[in-house]
Amino acid sequence: MAAIELDGVTKRFDDVTAVSDLSLTVEDGEVFGFLGPNGAGKSTTINLLLDFVRPTTGTVTVLGHDAREESVAVRERTGVLPEGFDVYDRLTGRAHVEFAIDSKEVDVDPDDVLDRVGLADAADRQAGGYSKGMRQRLALAMALVGDPDLLVLDEPSSGLDPAGAKEMREIVLEEAERGTTVFFSSHILEQVEAVCDRVGILREGELVAVDSIAGLREASDADATLSVAVGDPVDDDVLESVRALDGVQRVERSTEGGLRVGCDSDAKTRVVTALEDNGVTVTDFTTDEASLEDLFLAYTEGERDEPTDADASVAADDGEADADTTASRDSTATSDPAADSGETADSDTAAGAEDADADSAADESDGDETDAPDAGDEAIEEEVQR
Amino acid sequence: MSWQAVARKEFRDAIRSRWLHGSTLFFALFLGGASALFFGVLLGPESRQVSNLFGFFASLGVFSFSFPGLLALVLGFIALSTSYGSITEERETGSVKLLLSLPNSRLDVMIGKLLGRSAVVVAALLVGFLATFVILVATGSRLELGSFVPQVALTALLGAAFVSVGLSLSALADSNREATLATMGLYLVFAILWGSIAEGIPKLINYAAEQVGMSVAELTRVKIGVFLKYLNPLKTYETLAAQLYYGPAQARLVSTTFGERTILAPVLEGSPPFYFTGWFLFLVLLAWIVLPAAVGYWSFERADL
Repeated sequence: MAAIELDGVTKRFDDVTAVSDLSLTVEDGEVFGFLGPNGAGKSTTINLLLDFVRPTTGTVTVLGHDAREESVAVRERTGVLPEGFDVYDRLTGRAHVEFAIDSKEVDVDPDDVLDRVGLADAADRQAGGYSKGMRQRLALAMALVGDPDLLVLDEPSSGLDPAGAKEMREIVLEEAERGTTVFFSSHILEQVEAVCDRVGILREGELVAVDSIAGLREASDADATLSVAVGDPVDDDVLESVRALDGVQRVERSTEGGLRVGCDSDAKTRVVTALEDNGVTVTDFTTDEASLEDLFLAYTEGERDEPTDADASVAADDGEADADTTASRDSTATSDPAADSGETADSDTAAGAEDADADSAADESDGDETDAPDAGDEAIEEEVQR
Repeated sequence: MSWQAVARKEFRDAIRSRWLHGSTLFFALFLGGASALFFGVLLGPESRQVSNLFGFFASLGVFSFSFPGLLALVLGFIALSTSYGSITEERETGSVKLLLSLPNSRLDVMIGKLLGRSAVVVAALLVGFLATFVILVATGSRLELGSFVPQVALTALLGAAFVSVGLSLSALADSNREATLATMGLYLVFAILWGSIAEGIPKLINYAAEQVGMSVAELTRVKIGVFLKYLNPLKTYETLAAQLYYGPAQARLVSTTFGERTILAPVLEGSPPFYFTGWFLFLVLLAWIVLPAAVGYWSFERADL
């Protein structure tokens, strides 16, 4: 049985389409990571699962129940760690868990649950005095009450320190081992990689990819960089013949006298074979896989055809500027993770150009220009999450 | 159905609020203080009986004053302030996401909030009545429990009615600010404007009828006006409280002007129409508990969070 089924779901708010024709199935027992930049519609999708908001069109089925008509039945078996929630300041931690126990009509010792999330010592304190991380743990404790069949975690590690995030990850894995389906959203990729069976990538309300991490790597154009250490210096002819191989984008000499080859993942063996066929002794080779970060950026930003600010009309009739953005992003996204900051600057320059203002485009180093698209992102995020 | 869980949560949460502590103290001082003043100082030993304070009605025609009316005004304000933020605040802080991520339906939430917050208001009120009771006993006043106990119950119901009104506004409003303004506006209507509106409506009806060559009998006009007055929960309570001490015919006249009284008194002395009976007005009071919450639910059920 599918734990979550979204079928052609669109959610429009007054002036924003937060989720557009989304179809997605999460199987029972799966750990599914829901990725996307801020404002992509992740929280809206989760809110649809919980009947916090209602779909404009399409159907949402959770644990075999219609999310709209049978929401209580859904939530009886679902533990939720919502995003942007707050605790009841005047109630103690234990009172919160007792509220969850009462609501779920189960018989559980609240202290056991609090102990599991590391809040046993703070159980009698008013939750208003809790830190962000403690509030997050408290909500997780409430979610875990009654051993849910489905855990829905919206940005679970926000506000947690690294140790807290690790504990959160461990609890997620424990639950998954118990057979619980876990659906969680994140923009922190390492987390997703560490725990997820499959991920879905959401961009501007549309699902752009659903696959395992390995599958995504394979499917995306993001390539690997192969570093080859050789016995003797390689001459130019050999360099040319490697360059001519299928799936090889570039070949250059590294500072240590070896080679750096940018190629598709499946071309690596061909490169090494070709070198050896040409009489080059390969003493060692390493590959740097495209980082998940690159992968993510390739999916979520690679073909962005809408500006991040609200000025949609300008971008609509400015196809050339868009094409430039795409090109520059593709090249930077695939070369070097360290170039991330440079990549951001590039795209922002392009965004500046979209404003049809030649002067601002020329002024590449302008700090204000760099900030503007981010602010736009946040504005959209806020609107989408009402 | 998990409304009990919500009600318990609401009660535990609200009982810890400083506003409630203040309200409780206020009720204790207000009811206890008034009792001490009346039964300890102002009234002679012979006239020390509950009805001389809790059944105190004075009507000067244009201006009427009663102790139950004053109590109702204060209680209405406190009950409204206890409930008008109960949904908007949860929406603004985001705690509503915890509330509704648990298997609580939105109906559970409305019922639970109505009962939980009402219980809190009633608890504060009872502290005040307890102070009164102690003073009554201490001063050797006549308790008239047959009237006094039902009056306490009526007062509790009035508190629940205003909790319901505030809750409804909280469900209908888009923001806490909107809920605050709507509550203040509505309180003004209940406390000050309602009477003028109730008197104005029959005059308007009559004016309209005259335009088409008809007229509305004076008695009918008065009946409509007085009936509308008693639809105001503050006045419903006041007249029901008066009925406990003075019987229905007298009680129906407590909010009337001299003119209205002259015309209406003979009707009430005979067999009053059903809409002036105590039972009907009691139903009106109950409707003020149920209907606003129902309207609020209707809106809350449809809303995206």
